[in-house]
Amino acid sequence: MEGAGGGPGTQEVRACGRALGGNCRVALLDEEHLGPYAPGLYAEALRALITDGDGEDPAAPLVVLLPHTYQSAEYAPRLAVRLDAAYIASVSAATIDDAGRVRFRRSILQARLRAEVRPRKRTVVATVQIGAFGGTDPAASPDAVVKVGRPADIEEHEEREVLGREAAGGGGVDLAGAERIVTAGRGVGGSDEVSVAAELAVALDAELGASRPVVDNGWLPREHQVGSSGHIVAPNLYLALGVSGSIQHLMGMSGSRIIVAINKDPEAPIFSVAHYGIVADLHEVAPVLTRLLEARRSS
Amino acid sequence: MRIGVCIKQVPDTDSQLRIADSGRGIDDSDLNWVISSCDLCALEEALLLAEAELARGEERPELVVFSLGPARVEEALRKALALGADRAVHLADEALQGGDALADGRALAAAVAKEHCDLVLTGAQSDDIGQAATPAVIAEILGFPYAWLVMAVELDSGKRSLRVVRELEAGMNEVLRLDLPALLAIQSGINKPRFASLRGTLQARKKPLRHEDRRGLEVDAARVGAAGAGFETESVTLPPAGAGGVMIEGVSAETAAEELIAHLEREAVL
Ligand SMILES: Cc1cc2nc3c(=O)[nH]c(=O)nc-3n(C[C@H](O)[C@H](O)[C@H](O)COP(=O)(O)OP(=O)(O)OC[C@H]3O[C@@H](n4cnc5c(N)ncnc54)[C@H](O)[C@@H]3O)c2cc1C
Ligand SMILES: Nc1ncnc2c1ncn2[C@@H]1O[C@H](COP(=O)(O)O)[C@@H](O)[C@H]1O
Repeated sequence: MEGAGGGPGTQEVRACGRALGGNCRVALLDEEHLGPYAPGLYAEALRALITDGDGEDPAAPLVVLLPHTYQSAEYAPRLAVRLDAAYIASVSAATIDDAGRVRFRRSILQARLRAEVRPRKRTVVATVQIGAFGGTDPAASPDAVVKVGRPADIEEHEEREVLGREAAGGGGVDLAGAERIVTAGRGVGGSDEVSVAAELAVALDAELGASRPVVDNGWLPREHQVGSSGHIVAPNLYLALGVSGSIQHLMGMSGSRIIVAINKDPEAPIFSVAHYGIVADLHEVAPVLTRLLEARRSS
Repeated sequence: MRIGVCIKQVPDTDSQLRIADSGRGIDDSDLNWVISSCDLCALEEALLLAEAELARGEERPELVVFSLGPARVEEALRKALALGADRAVHLADEALQGGDALADGRALAAAVAKEHCDLVLTGAQSDDIGQAATPAVIAEILGFPYAWLVMAVELDSGKRSLRVVRELEAGMNEVLRLDLPALLAIQSGINKPRFASLRGTLQARKKPLRHEDRRGLEVDAARVGAAGAGFETESVTLPPAGAGGVMIEGVSAETAAEELIAHLEREAVL
């Protein structure tokens, strides 16, 4: 078995590799040895490494693990095609049985269900969900690390050129430093209804957060977004209104000390991380909460 | 110039999900089916690019929509035609159904190649299976330059190149240049998809919708559909509810709010 990784998610990749109990090799892909990132180049460098290093038992499963970052999840499927492997994205658990059969768990339907899946190929490329596998394992012995170099026969023609980097949205909202955050999810229902979250935020002396659809729909500006493509926050109190609890949202807030979720769907995945959950229509509960908190403050 | 858009039909996010008796998937007998959210943004972006070309005095690119799925996906394709696409290709053959992103990507790549698309737009990730892999597979097979999580597109049809903004983690973006032919996987939030007009809906009925099968696509039967899937789903379950959390349920709004405040006072977060 083989683990490939470097940078963010390396710990998860190693932990997942160890869950499979195999003999792990860690491949580090860095720009110094490989050149600037391009999906075709990185896929090809890994393919060359894996195919060349494959003098092992041809029947044993070969698992290639990468972190599910926005970089490796972009090219990992291309690596799977080149290796004629199965591809399984964003796994949160991995097991291997006595017969050597590998099994992975991943979320489907926006994290509303979990699926146990089994590859039908000897080789499988899987990406590991960031934050799954309980983080670090400092006691583990260091694995053998291979630095991945530039394949000799790679075409010189660049498939895409990087022109630069820029910040996605304006600042101005201090979410990362906030003690308390009230977040509006798509369940608030519309731009006029965001006020139920905003008023509760004022009553709690909290900052206002938003899930991605709330921002995508223009109900709140981008700088309010919490999640993997927004702010990563860890306040004392995180109160989510009408947020379902997708992986990308949880990645931004699951480190909060106390998580409260109000959602009308008792099966919403947000409840699996909530310390306190209210199953109800947020439009009924949030205004009452606001009124009681205001009364409490002025008394 | 021809722009292809791949759209997937998925259960509406607000549908009630029931696990099928087999335990290996969801019961799809009573679901509301819609176009996956990012795919609507991909279609909208194609319409905007076509309109911008026309406004610059260029020929309007032809927009072709593709969908792989059972008979019900025709409704999704008609909706795309109502929104302004010119033609639709339905990968309807039984031999193509039941695949994963690799199998579907192979079939879609063949369909896209057959239509000679200069630019292909897809969603970044489907709202059901969500492997975020089908577009990368199509790009890999066709040898197209590829970018995932695209948040802005500018087309220079004269130079046959694209300027693209791609999203990175934690509020950063990357600006890229790609040459045509290329494939872009569009992230939600890039635009606000329009609604179909009555006129569009009427016109859509007369627009061409073509069926495509495995033989016509010349793809190997063992590499597409259920036979070509790289993995199988053994079971589907609900995530564990309230992992140790306190649930307040079945009480009045007043009581729920009072109980929560009492808990938060005890936790010293108020
Ligand atoms: C690469 C990538 C990056 C992403 N980054 C982010 C990110 O940074 N942040 C983020 O949030 N998402 C992100 N997403 C999107 C993510 O996958 C989900 O689509 C999103 O988090 C869902 O937002 P939501 O929970 O508000 O909406 P939904 O999933 O639609 O959930 C709405 C919830 O509201 C509930 N509800 C509805 N009405 C009511 C009511 N009246 N009372 C109570 N409850 C109600 C429903 O039961 C439901 O659970 C990303 C996706 C991708 C592919
Ligand atoms: N069956 C399909 N038909 C058409 N397009 C698809 C299909 N499956 C996936 N796609 C496209 O690929 C994108 C990513 O899907 P996925 O790999 O399932 O996350 C979707 O947003 C669609 O644009």
